[in-house]
Amino acid sequence: MEKGKMTKIALALIVVLMVGMLAGCGGGGGNKSSNVEDKDELIVATAYDAKSLDPHAVNDVASSNVMLQIYDTLVTIDGDGNINPSVAETFEQVDEVTYKFTLKKGIKFHNGEEMKAEDVKFSIERAANSPAIAHIFGDIDTESFEIADDYTISFKLNNPNTGFLSSLAHTGGSILNQKAVEAEGDNYGMKPVGTGPFKFVNWAKGDRVELEKFADYHGDEPKFSKMVIRVIPEPTNRTIELESGGVDVAYEITTNDISRIEENEDLQLSRMIDNQIQYLGFNNQKEPFNDIKVRQAISYAIDTTSVVETVWRGVGKVAEGPMAPNVKYADHSIEVHEYNVEKAKELLAEAGYPDGFKTKLWTNEKQERVDMATIIQSQLKEVGIDVDIEILEWGAYLDSLSKGEQDMFIIGWTCQTADPDLALYGPLSQETLGAGANFSFFIDDEVNDLLIKGRRIEDSPEREAIYKKIQNRVVEQAPWVFLSNGEAVVGSAKYVKNLELTPFGYHPLFKIYFE
Amino acid sequence: MESNKVIENKKAKKKRNSQLSDTWLRLRKDKLALVGLTILVILIFVAIFADFIAPYKYDAQDLSNILQAPSSEHIFGTDEFGRDIFSRVVYGSRISLQVGFIAVSIAVIIGGFLGAVAGYYSGKIDNFIMRAMDILLSIPQILLAISIVAALGNGLTNLMIAVGISSIPQYARIVRAAVISIKNEEFVEAAKATGSGDLRIIFKHILPNCLAPIIVQATLGVALAILTAAGLSFIGLGIQPPTPEWGAMLSGGRGYIRDYSYMTLFPGLAIVITIFALNVLGDGLRDALDPKLKN
Amino acid sequence: MIKYIFRRIVMLIPVILGVTFIVFSLMYITPGDPARLVLGESAPDEAVQQLREEMGLNKPFLVQYGNYIKNLVVNRDIGISYVTKRPVMQEILSAFPATVKLAGLSIFFAIIIGIPIGIISAVKKYSFFDNISMIFALIGISMPVFWLGLLLILLFSVKLKVLPASGFSSFKDMILPAVSLGAQSVAVITRMTRSSMLEVIRQDYIRTARAKGQKEKVVILKHSLGNALIPIITSIGLQFGGLLGGAVLTESIFSIPGIGRLMVESIKMRDFPVVQGSVLFIAISFSIVNLLVDLLYAYVDPRIRSQYS
Repeated sequence: MEKGKMTKIALALIVVLMVGMLAGCGGGGGNKSSNVEDKDELIVATAYDAKSLDPHAVNDVASSNVMLQIYDTLVTIDGDGNINPSVAETFEQVDEVTYKFTLKKGIKFHNGEEMKAEDVKFSIERAANSPAIAHIFGDIDTESFEIADDYTISFKLNNPNTGFLSSLAHTGGSILNQKAVEAEGDNYGMKPVGTGPFKFVNWAKGDRVELEKFADYHGDEPKFSKMVIRVIPEPTNRTIELESGGVDVAYEITTNDISRIEENEDLQLSRMIDNQIQYLGFNNQKEPFNDIKVRQAISYAIDTTSVVETVWRGVGKVAEGPMAPNVKYADHSIEVHEYNVEKAKELLAEAGYPDGFKTKLWTNEKQERVDMATIIQSQLKEVGIDVDIEILEWGAYLDSLSKGEQDMFIIGWTCQTADPDLALYGPLSQETLGAGANFSFFIDDEVNDLLIKGRRIEDSPEREAIYKKIQNRVVEQAPWVFLSNGEAVVGSAKYVKNLELTPFGYHPLFKIYFE
Repeated sequence: MESNKVIENKKAKKKRNSQLSDTWLRLRKDKLALVGLTILVILIFVAIFADFIAPYKYDAQDLSNILQAPSSEHIFGTDEFGRDIFSRVVYGSRISLQVGFIAVSIAVIIGGFLGAVAGYYSGKIDNFIMRAMDILLSIPQILLAISIVAALGNGLTNLMIAVGISSIPQYARIVRAAVISIKNEEFVEAAKATGSGDLRIIFKHILPNCLAPIIVQATLGVALAILTAAGLSFIGLGIQPPTPEWGAMLSGGRGYIRDYSYMTLFPGLAIVITIFALNVLGDGLRDALDPKLKN
Repeated sequence: MIKYIFRRIVMLIPVILGVTFIVFSLMYITPGDPARLVLGESAPDEAVQQLREEMGLNKPFLVQYGNYIKNLVVNRDIGISYVTKRPVMQEILSAFPATVKLAGLSIFFAIIIGIPIGIISAVKKYSFFDNISMIFALIGISMPVFWLGLLLILLFSVKLKVLPASGFSSFKDMILPAVSLGAQSVAVITRMTRSSMLEVIRQDYIRTARAKGQKEKVVILKHSLGNALIPIITSIGLQFGGLLGGAVLTESIFSIPGIGRLMVESIKMRDFPVVQGSVLFIAISFSIVNLLVDLLYAYVDPRIRSQYS
């Protein structure tokens, strides 16, 4: 390392230490300003740090949560699943595979450049080539971009995909400034430039991201000028900070702390069922789980309601079918499967296992999954199934799952847009067996045909019927035992207004105001 | 020659025997060490007879009775699955002692052998072995543990292997030092002169005579191994549920610390008491085995 | 002296080579595909394969290791993180200050408490004070840091609400983590100070000093402490070196983004370059601390100084 760099680091260290000491003398992190109207800063506690602020480098909720405040996408989805224009003034699906967008004029990037069709082309093309979001944008035909003028652009998909428009609202569809990306090179993920309501100021890795209101924002002006997104991995500590006024909003409040926040009259709780489903999957190709009776028997033997209530205690809900309830076309007529030990025993006997059998249940070290496994283990004992729980470390877990070495396993799946295609295709189609998320190696021609058909046809009652049929067929075939749907539980101070939650786990914090 | 060797050997043996009884006499005077020994004996007793001491099975869930504060029925309360915490702490002694003793045995056997070889031969072999130990010391324990656990799977045995391997260098160093200090003594020379093989000399003559530092280090090492294992399972590595490992119980209870702090209190206390007992015993043994060191 | 330092640094090279090789092999045999982990479970297989190719993971083991070493020696570059795509050096340098701060504060705390108590205990051997502090020191050594951390949070953040349970930007934030991490060092240093002082006090020259009518204070602080310092410095150095390696448990309990957590996260994500980089960094800083401790000996003890020339 050269000398100059060393000196700089040393200086930085000294400055950090001094600032730290000074801040310490300032006493208390409490920012409960006596006058809410004067409050000009929003501090949010999240569980994980962003990995990168380059929308095409990563695909995780924590990164998206920051990027959502910095970038805009061509379109957005509202709470009812409607697609609305954003930086695109109008959009149109010209034919099965062609999309055309007219951009708003005069939109500025944080570096002062105006956003034009070239930037859109650059961004969407970059998204299409990114492995991190290939499952969402990989099917864009990168040869097909046509720029009519600075504000009009169109491009095609390789195959028709009805869910595509809503995919564009994913943070992977963010519009970047070509110059800024090329100027920063490898470091762009630390120096993002977007057109969104807040611009990037500083990122102390593992600790906080600081943002500042963007004066030239094209949409509604944010009501506060500084946003700090802090990383506090320990759930208890997030609540403690919220209670002591150290933060205004705290993400991922755990079950234990919900009642504390509800009982605290200075605080409030916002909740929304998210697009995640946790399920117990069977290896459908392996004995004895290739027998539908065994799979059904195990479904009957597990009292999902008590599992979910014990483990999640009031957060989320018991899953009914393979799709989370807020995803478009979720069939709300499907009920939580029946808990019936006698029936389970009968089915097991019919399948040739009157005395049960010995098997393994895999999970990774995530506490709730381990807890669910622990209860399921003791419930399956009742019907004679002797379960060994094996906790695998995440990396090894994914590896072994895609190789098909599992018997039973617990995992979650999140639909990252509002379209049912992304909710079902990955974990259930034949194209995605093993590596690609169909970890239960579920092979069912009827479901597979419907999945392919569903992604091709336009939104219509017919499409709805297809997806409802898929859900019912999956319930009947029982490749999984549906366990729970997640829930975004966010605590905030009472004076925080207009905190809108999305089912994707990242939320538009820029809309908040204080009162 | 032959008779000479026998005499030397007998002398050494006799020396050892009287050393043992001397040690015991000195240890008996050390009250703190006796406290440690007593606690340890009780712990071993609890571990062996856990089935009779624990009022419930360690994995018996009672979902209608979760998170109960300590009462006459559950003297340490119940956890998030309604399991009796007292019973789990009792069974946990089995796990912790097992982890401690086995991990240390692995380390003592491998480390002791390597250290003895290094000390006995010196020169290039010594240099090679000790550099290898330096390298092993530089590998973070967590990395070793995650690799072993990811490769071989989670579980008690693999946890013990991970903890054991990472403490090999300590023992190698101690044994090497002890061997060097002893290898030029007369009775070793005598054994060499009679043409005994190197391995025979190391195992028969040298190692038995440098047991003292090994015993001391091993006692302290068991404490360290238990702590390490608890730390690893605290961050979610190693133990499969429903195994009642104390560190895992602490980790499971930390989400409940504000309203149900007893969930973390008792397993934590169990760890502290065990480690305390082993540490004072280790200290006492050191003083007793080597009275020169005692101040 | 400079020659000696140079020799010590040269001796580091085989250790570094060995460490990188073992870490490389460990990561290689550990199941789990970095490309799959970066992309998540939803990514299609082709994308994973494409990324593996980009990361150079499809090359044979020795070629990968060779490339790493070549890059390290020729370009003095330790690569780019698989996960964040940032240079590994930057990742490490942004995690290191928190670790240094935590370690420094813990050691500071251990020194200002441990040494005085150790001295008093030694001077008043077997007194009530001595017995109590030795028992406390034993308890300190027996206390798992994660449990102590939880208890401190429970008492000071939850019940008394006087100190924050997370964060690391202000001095106040650092108190609880430093206390829980430092507790063990306090205990070790107290015990080391006591036994080392006792050893020295028995020596002839101390008796001589006393006989010459020196004040007790001077005898203790000047003659005895000066000579007892070497083992105390060694143990402080060892403690500090260990703490620099990152205190994963403390860091995760108190949400401090230090090098320990960086390493664990990277191991979990199979972010090989960052794992490799941080292990190297820790090994080197540990060696440097050891070297400094040795040099400090020479400063404290002229007899040792003469050996270096």
